[in-house]
Amino acid sequence: MNKFSRLFVAKLILLVCLGFLGAGLASMSNAAESGSFSNPALEARLIAAENGVGPNATSLSAGRHLKLGEGWKTYWRSPGEVGIPPSIDWAGSENVEEVELLWPAPERFTAFGIENFGYHDEVVFPLRIALSDPGAPVRLNANVTLLTCSTVCVPQEFTLTLSLPRASGIDADAAALISAYAEKVPEEGAESGISIQSAYLDPDMTALTLVAHSERPFAGPDVFPELGAGTAFGKPDIRLGDGGRLLWARLPVLSAAADLPDLRITVTDGDRAASLFTELADAAPQPPFALDRVLPGLAELAWIAAIAFLGGLVLNVMPCVLPVLSIKLSSAMKSHDQGVGRIRKGFAVSALGVLAFMWSLAALTLAARGLGMTVGWGLQFQNPVFLAVMFIVLAVFSANLFGAFEIELPSSLQTRLARAGGGKGYSGDFATGAFAAILATPCSAPFLGTAVAFALAGRLLDIAVIFTALGIGLALPYLIVAAFPAAISRLPKPGRWMLWLKILLGLALAGTAGWLFWVLIGVGGMTSALAVLTASAVLVVILSFSRLAAGARLSGAAATGALAIFLAGFLSAAGTPNAKPATDWAAFDRREIPKLVSRGEVVFVDVTADWCLTCKANKALVLDRAPVRTALRAPGVTAMQADWTRPDEAISRYLETFDRYGIPFNAVYGPGAPEGIVLPELLSSEAVLSALEKAAERAVASGG
Amino acid sequence: MIEGRRNTLAVLATVAAAYAGFWYFPELGSTELNFEDVQYPRGFRRLSASESSSGFDLFIGMNAMGPDSLADAEARVRADICGALYGDDLSATQRVPVAFFTEYYCPYCRVQTRTLAALDARPDSNLRAIWHELPLLGQSSEVAAKAALAAKRQGAYVAFHERLMKSSFVATPEYLQALARDIGVDHQRLITDMRSAPVTEELENSAALARVFGIFGTPALIIGRTIIQGQIDEKTILRVAEMEIEEDWTSQCQTA
Repeated sequence: MNKFSRLFVAKLILLVCLGFLGAGLASMSNAAESGSFSNPALEARLIAAENGVGPNATSLSAGRHLKLGEGWKTYWRSPGEVGIPPSIDWAGSENVEEVELLWPAPERFTAFGIENFGYHDEVVFPLRIALSDPGAPVRLNANVTLLTCSTVCVPQEFTLTLSLPRASGIDADAAALISAYAEKVPEEGAESGISIQSAYLDPDMTALTLVAHSERPFAGPDVFPELGAGTAFGKPDIRLGDGGRLLWARLPVLSAAADLPDLRITVTDGDRAASLFTELADAAPQPPFALDRVLPGLAELAWIAAIAFLGGLVLNVMPCVLPVLSIKLSSAMKSHDQGVGRIRKGFAVSALGVLAFMWSLAALTLAARGLGMTVGWGLQFQNPVFLAVMFIVLAVFSANLFGAFEIELPSSLQTRLARAGGGKGYSGDFATGAFAAILATPCSAPFLGTAVAFALAGRLLDIAVIFTALGIGLALPYLIVAAFPAAISRLPKPGRWMLWLKILLGLALAGTAGWLFWVLIGVGGMTSALAVLTASAVLVVILSFSRLAAGARLSGAAATGALAIFLAGFLSAAGTPNAKPATDWAAFDRREIPKLVSRGEVVFVDVTADWCLTCKANKALVLDRAPVRTALRAPGVTAMQADWTRPDEAISRYLETFDRYGIPFNAVYGPGAPEGIVLPELLSSEAVLSALEKAAERAVASGG
Repeated sequence: MIEGRRNTLAVLATVAAAYAGFWYFPELGSTELNFEDVQYPRGFRRLSASESSSGFDLFIGMNAMGPDSLADAEARVRADICGALYGDDLSATQRVPVAFFTEYYCPYCRVQTRTLAALDARPDSNLRAIWHELPLLGQSSEVAAKAALAAKRQGAYVAFHERLMKSSFVATPEYLQALARDIGVDHQRLITDMRSAPVTEELENSAALARVFGIFGTPALIIGRTIIQGQIDEKTILRVAEMEIEEDWTSQCQTA
């Protein structure tokens, strides 16, 4: 803010105080404001801090007040790559010498890669009006043109008039509103403590590089350079150095006009902002640190592939998959008469089945991404239909293990293939492998988050490598048998113990099904969940009704299954918003984070969902337990929870900024870490506490 | 038990397919598109999910074109709404026509332009885009629209459009001259065409159509007989186009 507007604010604050005094004295109050212009996009009016023109007054403080409808935005004096700045023509005004309009600091809107700067919700443009005839009545006539956009852009043209008679007295509300927004107008001198040290525009006009310095550390800064209406800049790459006091930013030039006016740079940081004219330097300033290369190196890829492989291997003992493996092994044991070659090939084909499913997942992922869809691991748990399908499969499977009925692996196709190919058919083996992989997905989210998130964010090669490693890990037991068929004879002989094992596995599966049911209640609502439960029960009864022919049983089962899937989607309440977080937690609001941080507070963000088992574990073992629980409730700490049980665009976008596509996700922000410290997926008390401490660090230093 | 086994496999395959389908396309059958019929022009309808025009004054910002010049244009387009909206060669192709009202100074128009241009360019596309310049946002916007329409007369509409949609610019005479040189159109002819009656008429027709259809801002789409105000995603465009084919939008244009 320049010296002038500083006086302006001081005067306004004085006016506000006087206004409250005046209100106390119940003075005659005709609040001075214009009639308003309004439509669904905005409501606009002129307001004045004083009720009229006082004796000998040479200037007035007023404001143009805009309230924008939900989802509507309007623009700054530099609207960004495209858009129109608002303009006011004062023609038709009386006793007005000059009007100076002040621009509150803008915020950045990014939509589909287009950068815009402006305002949402509410904004007041403070107006300083110089009078030609001191003390005489004033008539303000503002012919306003501005652009408002939601998903549609609507130009607005309207006239606001405000007459101020000779009068005294202060409109406290208007004065408070004007001064609040006058505070948001960027400083034009050194008062903000922010200075631009150097700015460089390369001769080919590809990018603007600049360095700013601040006396107190930046919290969540943004940079808005202005170089005339024909020049636009892309999203800045901002890096902080020197304990947060140094800001280095590089902005790509999207388009450049032929002749350039003086460069003006506006730096915003929480509640403070500075707008400074700057000379261009001859050389580009160096960044305080280099970012990690964007593409992962070979070593990193190998490491992640190793994790994926181990993750896949571990999946074999998960309740979802173990039954498939044991059934496969026991069927091999039963048929000792089969030749070694048959066993070897059978298991190899099963392994291939696992891999084939993984590869089709990889292909689908790529295709979905190509179509611009959001893909993420664990996202499927936001879909009631998926949950219903998995629940039915698990219910049927566990009923089978409890001995309600037998699932026979199909041999008809084998026979047919055998006839055609002259050898034994392997389609059953292939299906077993693919089925194991399908069943593995519900259990994989908690274990494979890192590897899969890496793959989903990565190149074609990354996706291929990681899904293959995952598949090989999951298929390893089959591959081992294929390599050493003799190992099968070392396994214990089938006997009574198999029955117990089956019941044990059945219980594990029923447990998993129970968990899915609980998730389904959260995602789809009680009605949907109960419908699925009932249909599954009917399905199991039909399957175990041995007096029916096998074909009829299966047709009935298929129909009931389809009905359950349909009901899950049809009755689901998935469109309703996510539940409000538990009372100890504030609701997640991304915009609040920098504000809280700028006040020196520490913010802990927890993104969770009903279906995320690791999140539950984190909560039970770390977050809801002393000492973390106490630390999160401490004054100056805000714990925010984002519930991702049902799809939520805002949360997805937030995760994406960290290149994360799955949860659990936890981050800590604070004066010492304005960009956020991302915590590991599996939390530990030490990790949380040390991050909280690190984030708070400078708050203590500067507060003391 | 041979048949039983085959059925088991079939059930498993169904489950796997349903699972894969719903995982990757969670929107399948989830949201429903709702329409409301408009009073005029008869037979057209509005997608309910799009921004509603209620509460907005139509045609603020059409500063350069007075109501009188639009009255003539309105009479022209009312005489043959489908022709004015979609061009004359309606029967020449089976593709659903998409009239797109856009301009160069509206952020979401750029997004919608990209989506629509990509859809239009697909070899198997079942829709065909018809561009309508609707410069609502001031003088530079209007100059740009005229320049684009003038460039169209030299076969450089797409090139012009792409350039203007990519950059931020002020449509000064110097800017247009440089742009004309870059793209390889005759600058003198461009200037003459910009002032010519056919270009003015084309702009007026688009503006009159917008008024007839109650379009109050940009971007806006009319797909077959469905009016959609505001930017929408590719999937919705394709779904509406699909419905227009199923419900035979052409009957609309034969009677209207």
